[in-house]
Amino acid sequence: MKKKLFGILSIVTLTIFAFSGCKNRGTTAENRNETGKKILKCSESFALETLNPHQDYQGWYTSIYGLTEALFIMNDQSSVEPMLAESAKADGNIWTIKLKEAASFSNGNTVTSDMVIRNLQNAGKTNSRFAYLKDCSYQILDDKTFTIETSEVYPTLLNDLASPELAIVDLDNSKDMGSQLVATGPFVVSSFEPGGTIKVKRNSSYWNGEVKLDGAEFYYMPEPDTSLMAMQNGEIDCYTGVTADAAEIFKNDPDTYKLVSIPATRLQFYILNKNRLDDSVRKAINLTIDTKAIETYLNGTVTSTDGPFDSSAPYGKVTKEPVDIEAAKALLEKDGYSLNADGYYEKDGQVLTINIAYYAARSLDTLATLMQEQLKTIGIKGTLTCEVDPDETYIATGDFDIALYCMIADKAGDPYYFISCTLAKGAPYNCGGFSNEKTQKLIDELKVTSNNDRRAELANEIVQTAIDEDAFGYVALFNKTTVMRNNVVNVFENCPFDFYFLNANTDMN
Amino acid sequence: MKHYITKRLLLLIPIILGLTFLTFALLYITPGDPAKKKLSAQGIAVTNEVLEKTRQEMGLNQPFMKQYLDWFGKFLKGDLGNSFKDGTSVADKLSKGMRYTFILSFSAFFLAITISIPLGIYTAVKQNRFVDYFIRFLCFIGNAVPNFLLAVLFIYFFCIYIKVFPVVAKGNMQGLFLPALSLALPLVSRFIRQIRAAVLEQLNAEYITGARARGNRETYILFRDVLHNALISIISIFGFSIGTLLGGSVVIESIFMWPGVGKLMMDSINARDYPVIQGFVIISAMIYVVVNLLIDLCYQLIDPRGEE
Repeated sequence: MKKKLFGILSIVTLTIFAFSGCKNRGTTAENRNETGKKILKCSESFALETLNPHQDYQGWYTSIYGLTEALFIMNDQSSVEPMLAESAKADGNIWTIKLKEAASFSNGNTVTSDMVIRNLQNAGKTNSRFAYLKDCSYQILDDKTFTIETSEVYPTLLNDLASPELAIVDLDNSKDMGSQLVATGPFVVSSFEPGGTIKVKRNSSYWNGEVKLDGAEFYYMPEPDTSLMAMQNGEIDCYTGVTADAAEIFKNDPDTYKLVSIPATRLQFYILNKNRLDDSVRKAINLTIDTKAIETYLNGTVTSTDGPFDSSAPYGKVTKEPVDIEAAKALLEKDGYSLNADGYYEKDGQVLTINIAYYAARSLDTLATLMQEQLKTIGIKGTLTCEVDPDETYIATGDFDIALYCMIADKAGDPYYFISCTLAKGAPYNCGGFSNEKTQKLIDELKVTSNNDRRAELANEIVQTAIDEDAFGYVALFNKTTVMRNNVVNVFENCPFDFYFLNANTDMN
Repeated sequence: MKHYITKRLLLLIPIILGLTFLTFALLYITPGDPAKKKLSAQGIAVTNEVLEKTRQEMGLNQPFMKQYLDWFGKFLKGDLGNSFKDGTSVADKLSKGMRYTFILSFSAFFLAITISIPLGIYTAVKQNRFVDYFIRFLCFIGNAVPNFLLAVLFIYFFCIYIKVFPVVAKGNMQGLFLPALSLALPLVSRFIRQIRAAVLEQLNAEYITGARARGNRETYILFRDVLHNALISIISIFGFSIGTLLGGSVVIESIFMWPGVGKLMMDSINARDYPVIQGFVIISAMIYVVVNLLIDLCYQLIDPRGEE
């Protein structure tokens, strides 16, 4: 009797589970259009708990979901273009900004100067990275024109105003910005599960033209393998952050998938410690590190680079010397190093040993190993030190010969942020002893220069000096890789910034 | 009995005090600044001024004991605080995560015991026969294969190959089956071996030889004597497992997008989200104490001799 009971119980359990699985079969992206609606299904590796775009980096995601827009937008060439704003003009430290007449929220309310100013002040209060905005002086000239007076000349204000965290929201009607968001984007929230799926639908009163999709759904998939399989199974239509292995699979099926990979803004670089390494050793290291070989090894996930910015940007025009092993060896030998029986260079009985400090993220562990191998080929012994938190350890203490790091170099279409963080005197990532009076003067000039051509010229000169002095080595820019079904178009796949995706022109043909 | 339960529940107080203090201290000395993690979440560097201001706002500039006592004071008032990461209520986050983790854990556990109890007993009864060797061989494989690999294989097989389930699981029975199965199978392998061992121990006992000599039927001996006496060991095994399951499974939850507490915990540890971690530690401690208490009560129900 008891045996029978066990048997029946087992069968019932398995049957319930099996049928529960079978009954909803068929809700895939491929047959979804049978309903006649164009709903784009995507995966995201991050899920929001609230929809307040001003808080932390949440504006990146509300922008990705097509819910929010800022006064300006970054284009594919990393230049600032007007979005909700029509024009902007600087006079010293006073910026006059005119808003577009048509700009309005999804509830039909017009975007006014007052609302924009309140948004900027709110973002300044909510987000420490934009705290300066709450201290600026604002003046309303008319319903569509206002001024911002910064405490000092601020030539990159428009780049900041293009940040998705400075999205413009109808503060009066977004009672709980965490869940009821009234903004200006081409889509509005249809359903939102904190930490999970978000569904958006067309903003039928979108101010900037016709919205082509009926809606979109973003599923939270932290594991890239899950996104790959959901794509293969036809349950999602596109996603960004495609891994190298997944890209190979998609490349092999061009009839189904479109794969777009472009160098983005996240940079892998290393800092050479001038306080510890001689000029000849640093130069030899830079002549040895083969970034093209690293790009090949990392299999399409990165693009090797000469400087910190994409070479297509006007401020990305720098060069570095090509890999030359013989020249590197000659430099070391000229400096008194000689090869020992183990194949390593030594001087005064000391083997030339370089400590490479890194942390295990963003492929820096692989990069460290590859650099160690490449240095070995010319006779430099590399030792690896892995730290959990680089900022609290080797970046803070300067205890390294080579320090690996990864950060977004181009935050919003301007070089000043990266230069001020890594090359300026006392900058947090200028921890390898780079110091050059002339360069510092150029950085000071860059800080207050408004003319874009001059800014690019200054940035190129500053970065070139850092390269020529062998203070840094810029390895690669991470690629932004997007995969789409062949019928999907316009998901900002050619824009290097991570915070754009869904827009009014996104379509499923 | 009431006295016993009260005594055990009162033990929670020093346990929670000790655990929360220890966790707080460990987090404090672990490298990684919550303010920096929050500000640089997308790989953007921040100035020292912004960092300092944020640390001040988050109360991270206070001495260690003050930070701990502030947190503990709020906890005594029933306030677990807000997440450093996104400012949302820790209690809300944990209650949502625990709800999903309970569903997944109990489904996996139910599936595991449904399969493992009959098979464990069967392999013990059929000791050293082909079926015993075969099931034990499968158990070795089940124990050796990591559950993340099982999960990916299951998705590939059920979702891509035979297309019975969608990859994009929803928070319903359909979305529950594969994560529950991925969690259950390694448990099944372990349970079968342990149940088999517990049953065999009883089958080889002298009182069973006596029972057989008295002419009792094998089924009677198995269900009346063997299983009853093996139950204490089996319940212990189940008790430890359910405690572990309720701690959440980071890998399975990540792969199947199951919004349980395991994934929440891993994200919180990475972000050094102290309030969420502390809240989780309290809940985990409570779960372990309550589960152990229930196991002890079960022991006493099965074998009242232990009551004294």
